[in-house]
Amino acid sequence: MSPHLLRTLSGSFLTVLWLTTASGQTAAAKIPRMAGGKPDLNGIWQSLSTANWDLQDHSAYAGPMWEMGAITAVPAGQGVVEGGSIPYLPAAAEKRKQNFANRRTADPEAKCYLPGIPRAAYLPYPFQIVDSNKDILFVYEFATASRQVNMGKPREAGSDSWMGMSNGHWEGDTLVVDVTGLNGKAWLDRAGDFSSDGLHVVERYTLMDQDHIAYEATLEDPKIFARPWKMHLTLYRIVDKGSQLLEFKCIPFAEELLYGEFRKKTGK
Amino acid sequence: MRYPHRLMALTVFAGMATAVSAQPVAKTATVSKAWKQPLTPWGDPDLQGVWPSTSMLQTPMERDPKLGARAVLNDQEVAQKAARDKQFHQLETGNASGIVPLAAGWFDYGKSNRQASLVVDPPDGRIPPLTAEAQAREAARKKHWNEKKDSPDTWLDLTTWDRCITLGPVGSVMPFAYNNGQQIIQGPGYVVFRNEMIHEARVIPVDGRPHASPAIRSWMGDSRGHWEGNTLVVDTTNFNGQVFIGSQGGGFGDSGAVATDQLHLVERFTRVDDSTINYEVTIEDPQTWTKPWKIAMPLRREADYDYIYEYACHEGNIFMHDALAGARADEKKAAEAAAQKGAN
Repeated sequence: MSPHLLRTLSGSFLTVLWLTTASGQTAAAKIPRMAGGKPDLNGIWQSLSTANWDLQDHSAYAGPMWEMGAITAVPAGQGVVEGGSIPYLPAAAEKRKQNFANRRTADPEAKCYLPGIPRAAYLPYPFQIVDSNKDILFVYEFATASRQVNMGKPREAGSDSWMGMSNGHWEGDTLVVDVTGLNGKAWLDRAGDFSSDGLHVVERYTLMDQDHIAYEATLEDPKIFARPWKMHLTLYRIVDKGSQLLEFKCIPFAEELLYGEFRKKTGK
Repeated sequence: MRYPHRLMALTVFAGMATAVSAQPVAKTATVSKAWKQPLTPWGDPDLQGVWPSTSMLQTPMERDPKLGARAVLNDQEVAQKAARDKQFHQLETGNASGIVPLAAGWFDYGKSNRQASLVVDPPDGRIPPLTAEAQAREAARKKHWNEKKDSPDTWLDLTTWDRCITLGPVGSVMPFAYNNGQQIIQGPGYVVFRNEMIHEARVIPVDGRPHASPAIRSWMGDSRGHWEGNTLVVDTTNFNGQVFIGSQGGGFGDSGAVATDQLHLVERFTRVDDSTINYEVTIEDPQTWTKPWKIAMPLRREADYDYIYEYACHEGNIFMHDALAGARADEKKAAEAAAQKGAN
């Protein structure tokens, strides 16, 4: 047994022991489960982190539009990146700075483009997990995005796409989703963090209790990052009675930004 | 022919007429006796899977008036159709000179079938007349469309399909030359109806809750489902008054009209065997049509169509840029020519 595995195992053991002591029963008993015994992820979820503004630790700063005053200013935030910073390769670090400078018009979120993975998980919009007895569907309010997580035989990505190809499996009580075929055009946040079409994401969804999911994503992209890195954040269940996913078809809100220069100008 | 969507539409007319084989009459809502409706672990009828509308591609939205109240084509009509289709077939495969049309090999062609129209009620298979108010509204919309379609002042002059917003809950299901995938995924208390065209995912609560506040309006509406036996019945309201309801997106003289925010849809999904869901939608908008009308068709499972790929329509919408930039370039050229003429 490798020392690493030994450490992991003893860590898990200690966690279980602590939870057992603290609550008088195992944590596993407290989460909702499907008929087959797997954790039941059905529900509407949303991140409350500042990850979509900036994945890394950041002070508050002014938004890209002074006209909007404090409304578009960025709240300070404790980062979600393990180890504190994203390990960009030098050229990519430069590109990230350019992205930041151009973020008002260059962020794909502003253009109402599909958000990609992992950004879809921490957009400031809810998403719904529909956990069937077969595959698992994620439906995101933003831009009517959705993606199927294949729980059967893994599928190969036919070609690159914004949301990628998601193949899932269970590791104990954790849903592990392997995402390939990402076109890398989606940014990772509004601060210009980004990847390329070399991106490979492994997401882990673990119900901590009935209303919280521990979300972890490992991002690997040898063209952009010096090494794989991880983010951790919490997804909160929307518990308000009668809440439902609503529609945010944002194209009409982005057309002036995208095509305004080609609109016929009247009243010269 | 600058516009890809419109080019596709033209090619579809050819595609719609391409015969593959004459199939027996589509099964109606009679459930096969040997087949038993499977249930989900939580006890709802299990409708899950990918159910493309492709097989109905060759059935027109509205019936040929010559057929009157006859909803099913006879042998002679099917034979005539097959003969007529034959001449279009080379459009798909390329002709003797080796010329293959745009996107051959990409389009879906469906199978020939005997259903005479997608509209099944009124009994003549024709969309009912518009109200007087809607006639004026639609005439103005079509006039504007015809004036502006080749030289749009703004994106607002183009259809919601050109803009990649949506085809709405009806158009997204209707058979077209591509992206006919319809998927159903269920969880406890929810059914999701997912459409490949533009990418839609209607999350439909089936837990008895009332509709959302009428103050919340949308393109796809607010849907509530319930089970009547093994049939999923979905009631949809709260539309935004901008949704085209009919065969496609509202350009090219499609059958249908833009409905008001009074639009009310009732859809019924009945699985009748392992590979067929009978789909029907009753369309009601007293401010647009003089009476309710109904579309019905089978959605059939296809062995090699078991996954909905991403259709990132807006993200790749080169058309919108080119249509608007082209129109401005034309105007500039015309203005320069006029100035030149004035100077001479």
